[in-house]
Amino acid sequence: MKLRSNFFLGDCLIILVSLIFIIFAFKTFWHFETGSVVQVNFQGKTYGNFSLFQDKKISLVGKEGSSMIEIKDGRARIKTAPCKNQYCVQQGWINFTGQILICIPNEVSIEILGKTKAYDSLNY
Amino acid sequence: MTRSIIKIKTTLLDHQIAQLSAIAIGLSLIESVLPSPMPGVKPGIANIITLYAIYRFNFKTAIWVSILRVFATSLILGQFLSPTFMLSLTGSILSLLTLYFVIKLPSKFFSPIGLSILSSFAHIAGQLMLVRLWLIPHASIYYLIPIYSAAALLFGFINGWITYRLLKQHNSI
Repeated sequence: MKLRSNFFLGDCLIILVSLIFIIFAFKTFWHFETGSVVQVNFQGKTYGNFSLFQDKKISLVGKEGSSMIEIKDGRARIKTAPCKNQYCVQQGWINFTGQILICIPNEVSIEILGKTKAYDSLNY
Repeated sequence: MTRSIIKIKTTLLDHQIAQLSAIAIGLSLIESVLPSPMPGVKPGIANIITLYAIYRFNFKTAIWVSILRVFATSLILGQFLSPTFMLSLTGSILSLLTLYFVIKLPSKFFSPIGLSILSSFAHIAGQLMLVRLWLIPHASIYYLIPIYSAAALLFGFINGWITYRLLKQHNSI
């Protein structure tokens, strides 16, 4: 196999097509969709679905005490939690489809729902 | 008791395959020590030897080098028949299959660089398929496609470029 040229048209084409594919793959698989509904789960059951566009505060009294969920400006968070670690509170606001906040001690979790359900390790 | 000596007749091609495989195994072992940011994101420098074998010798040599490398490396690292080995084998077979077809492309327009990129894409495609079908049968691994394709392009390009330089140095191109 002999070749002399230093410029390879085919290679450039392959690189270009690969780049387009990569950009396309990032757009397809990594799109983050803003959700519109938050599902509140309490003690193993769905407590209710609430719109993210209606500001609301939900207080849930569980085994540990009172958890306060706040919905504001299309986002949701757990404002206060009775537990020791405060992991759910420290994670702050969530607004993308599939994002989830969980407070295990008080059996509270909130999840953002959208048109399509995003994949993550939790719904595996 | 008479000593029996088993002599295997070796051809020049056997020696060439053995030499190339030894280099490929060495490169694989070096690579296995390098830390990786993510499981599966590896430079795959041993593929330089496979590609080199195709251009310098023939396709049959490349198959031998590639498959011997997969088996020997897994035996040395103690991964024989483990998922890692199966992934490696699947990737290599698919990548060889792709090379079998793309090597027929006109060499006036396609250099080892392009072929290397295509083969590394085939490599990762085969591995992701095996992961999807066997190891993690869930759609969430599609999340990883962008990362792995970006790595395939980058490392495919680098490997191809190294192969190109090697071949040029040896006047095979």
